[in-house]
Amino acid sequence: MSRINDNISLSIPNKPEYVSVIRLTVTAIANRMGFDIEKIEDIKVAVAEACTNAITHGKNDTDNFFVEFSIDEEKLVIKVCDSGKGCATNCIKNPDLTLLNEGGLGVFIIKSLMDDVNINSDLGKGTTIIMTKFLGDDM
Amino acid sequence: MSLAIKKTFIEEDNLWRIELAGEVDIYTAGQLKEAFIKIIEEKKESIRIDAEKLEYIDSTGLGVLIGALKRLRQENKNIIIFNIKPSIKKLLNITGLDKIFVIEG
Repeated sequence: MSRINDNISLSIPNKPEYVSVIRLTVTAIANRMGFDIEKIEDIKVAVAEACTNAITHGKNDTDNFFVEFSIDEEKLVIKVCDSGKGCATNCIKNPDLTLLNEGGLGVFIIKSLMDDVNINSDLGKGTTIIMTKFLGDDM
Repeated sequence: MSLAIKKTFIEEDNLWRIELAGEVDIYTAGQLKEAFIKIIEEKKESIRIDAEKLEYIDSTGLGVLIGALKRLRQENKNIIIFNIKPSIKKLLNITGLDKIFVIEG
């Protein structure tokens, strides 16, 4: 049996109007792979949050950010990279809702919805978020 | 898909009824924020959001709701959300926002 190992790469302008395009794209990919509706929704929300981060922290709207989908029989891996200013990942805290802060929920949502999340950020070089969703039952 | 916001002030209940239809994301969150600022400037009363036609909301949209709640709390007013789709309810659960807003139904 031949193993699937497909990659799709997109380069997207740092503009808010394109996040919905990524949402539709990732929904179509996850649907084609056979994810159930709830998992498709999780993936869609998580990827959109990563794209929102890339646009918010990206350098400017003339730049592009990059989304890569890696597809195999077991899982979908999505990588979202920006070339923004980067951040100190060890300073990302879980949100404290009693403070009613308006930001800081994005990464928390991504980590809650995906099976595996890695965030690499270099000050001045940008941020890469790699997230994985497995096709099988929840672990 | 974009966002449609319909506002009505219900005199007998003394609160705003806001109908949200479509998607709130980084592209449309600004529109929602402006609408809330106007509403609260007009009358600082509790806001009851009908989310039946709200298909999607992300962290920027939730941030706008949190910002509006912060202003309303100063006057002991609240944000009530009802008719929520399961996918959005899940998001409110995992973020703990279901304990911050009043969720009905």
